[in-house]
Amino acid sequence: MGEWMNPFAILAASFMGREGCGNDRTSLRPWPAPVAEALERGEFEALHWRTLFRSEASRFGRMDLLSRLGLMAVELLDAGLETMEPAQREAVGVCVETRSGCTAADVQFLQTPLASTFASTLPSTVVGEICIRHRFRGPVMCLLPVFEPGGSLEIARGWLQRGEAGACVCVACDLMDKKFAACTLSPHDAPSGGWQSCAVWIGRRTGASREHPWRRNSLPRLAHSLVARGVNVPNPGA
Amino acid sequence: MQSLTDELKNKIIKALNLDKIAPADIKDDEPLFGTGLGLDSLDALDLVSMLERDYGILIQDMEAARQAFASYRTLEDFVQRNRR
Amino acid sequence: MDPTMTAPRVAIAASGEVTALGLGQERLEQAVLANASGLRDCPRLAGKGYQSTVGGYVPDQVWGSLRERDPAHADAPAFLLADAALREARANLGRSAPNVAPGSPNTRSESCESTLLDAVPASRRGLVLSTTKADITALEGALDHRPNSVTAQRHLFPALLAADLGAAHGIAGPVQCVSTACVSGLLAIQQGALLIQEDKADLVFVVGVDLFSDFVLSGFTMLRSLDPGGCRPFDAERKGLSLGEGAGAIVLARRETLASPALTVKGWGSSNDANHLTGPSRDGSGLALAMNRALQKAGVTPLAIDFVHTHGTGTSYNDAMEGMALRSVFKAQVPPYCSSKGLFGHTLGAAGLLETIVCLLAARHQLLPGTPGLRSPDPSVPDSLLQKPRPAESLRRLLKLNAGFGGVNAALVLEWGSG
Repeated sequence: MGEWMNPFAILAASFMGREGCGNDRTSLRPWPAPVAEALERGEFEALHWRTLFRSEASRFGRMDLLSRLGLMAVELLDAGLETMEPAQREAVGVCVETRSGCTAADVQFLQTPLASTFASTLPSTVVGEICIRHRFRGPVMCLLPVFEPGGSLEIARGWLQRGEAGACVCVACDLMDKKFAACTLSPHDAPSGGWQSCAVWIGRRTGASREHPWRRNSLPRLAHSLVARGVNVPNPGA
Repeated sequence: MQSLTDELKNKIIKALNLDKIAPADIKDDEPLFGTGLGLDSLDALDLVSMLERDYGILIQDMEAARQAFASYRTLEDFVQRNRR
Repeated sequence: MDPTMTAPRVAIAASGEVTALGLGQERLEQAVLANASGLRDCPRLAGKGYQSTVGGYVPDQVWGSLRERDPAHADAPAFLLADAALREARANLGRSAPNVAPGSPNTRSESCESTLLDAVPASRRGLVLSTTKADITALEGALDHRPNSVTAQRHLFPALLAADLGAAHGIAGPVQCVSTACVSGLLAIQQGALLIQEDKADLVFVVGVDLFSDFVLSGFTMLRSLDPGGCRPFDAERKGLSLGEGAGAIVLARRETLASPALTVKGWGSSNDANHLTGPSRDGSGLALAMNRALQKAGVTPLAIDFVHTHGTGTSYNDAMEGMALRSVFKAQVPPYCSSKGLFGHTLGAAGLLETIVCLLAARHQLLPGTPGLRSPDPSVPDSLLQKPRPAESLRRLLKLNAGFGGVNAALVLEWGSG
């Protein structure tokens, strides 16, 4: 896979999906029953910041759902983001891949045409929201995978290898809600239904035991396997 | 008949898509932008569109509008004075 | 150590375009030389409450001829434009032979394709699509269950548009789809260059496309960022941008396979302002970061840059910010700079491609392009602003810039020459 990857590794991973959410330290924790039921009904508003986090995220309630998914996946990462120095943040690259794109936000804009809803009709809005919250100013990319998911891991590998970023966060988020479904002709033409969001943090190795070697793989599959493999610790709040 | 205050507060909520906010949550003297209600510059644009559509007020200069939008009270005064 | 320092150099082998100026390179070339504007009013859109209906519309007769040529895609406008640009680029590949003068009549024949394309098997050809909204015009039809063609509704999803374009152009190598607001084009060029440098492809088609749509027009009306009279980049009286539609395609190949002179991709950089979703950071520091990264990657200092092709949309904020970014990077020696948004409008996902093609034309003619739409330069922007075109003493290193919603910025360093 290349000797040059040795200095870099996946330092943290997170995953959110129907089965629950968590990171590579906590493993996947099931949603509290009311939240799980709301999600089954397609009520994605149930995924509120306060469900998972104590810290503040201003404007979260006004953000489009895809951006919320992306932000929550990054927040779930146990990667010490809160304590990063500004100089480090300046060099963090952000790469988002999304198979659903922002179709849900597009429909929202058609239904409620406003400046604030228009601003989220780009898949790269997720990149913007992540960078605004975490003050990341490194290289950027937003892709819609064509044949296979996982292009973002390649992008990050390249940035790090070429010295264009000091660390990277890769996010894969998808929202196929009722608005999205209304736009698709058949399941075969569009990615399979559902929703999920995951993130990995890639940076310089420190030798810690939690580090995972970079693998050529689909980001969602990789993140899921890194998060699900941990011992399932019961949610202390449940 | 609905007072201007009731009408305007409801229109703000509708125009800005503030679905978790009730008219009573819009305090007269708290800031609308930044803190207080926490609106941002995109909301300012939507507010301007609503004033134009529902009250016939044409705002050309966003900087001047900023002063009128300082709080709900200044906004209501502005609407009273300029509506057609 | 950046492995691309020893990787093969990548250059532009050919280009193709369709814009408000028409189909094909000659029309674009003439407009650049004449500093003409392709912006016009569209009476069909009047009375709908849009802030401006002046924009860069692909002419009706061009749409008509594209539909006639390809009736199966008559109802899939994003495909039609992107495909047209790709066909133009393929036809122009025949002109990268050394003894063909630029501006030769376009025979519009598939047999004009050069041995360059023939020598590359399908599995070694790649495609990168850049688009912000793909076929957004299909959205309303989809929601109302009005008849859209199956193809048009597929192309609501940019990745499917990319797949279909790849299939239509015999591409069996990597196909990617970049959608990063208005910097998509430059990022797509970067991706194309990397595919060649990492030996995943020998020839890469990079195509950018976006349509004029009620969706986007109404969105920018909500943002109040359109100039009712047409955009005036860097003008003292500027009021906003003008939208445009079109497609631009370039073919990237290893420099050594091309005849001299050629435009090489020397370096790139991108960044995020981390400030606001639709307003650039006031000090231009985000764009300056992207510029400095591109210069560093290209291994050149600011003094080496002969010309800057800006994003220059004509909004009050963007142009002021860009002026500050230029000063921040170039200090007192800002090179001559221009904007082409007045030529064909702000073409969103196609902008990075079309504006890079303007750079290619400028280098080929050794001409510094002007800024159509500019009447009285804003005194607060750097005074090396190019109002009208003029011959360049030596146009060798060009810097292309774009910025977009979500605080994204990108820069590309291009080098013209025989080396």
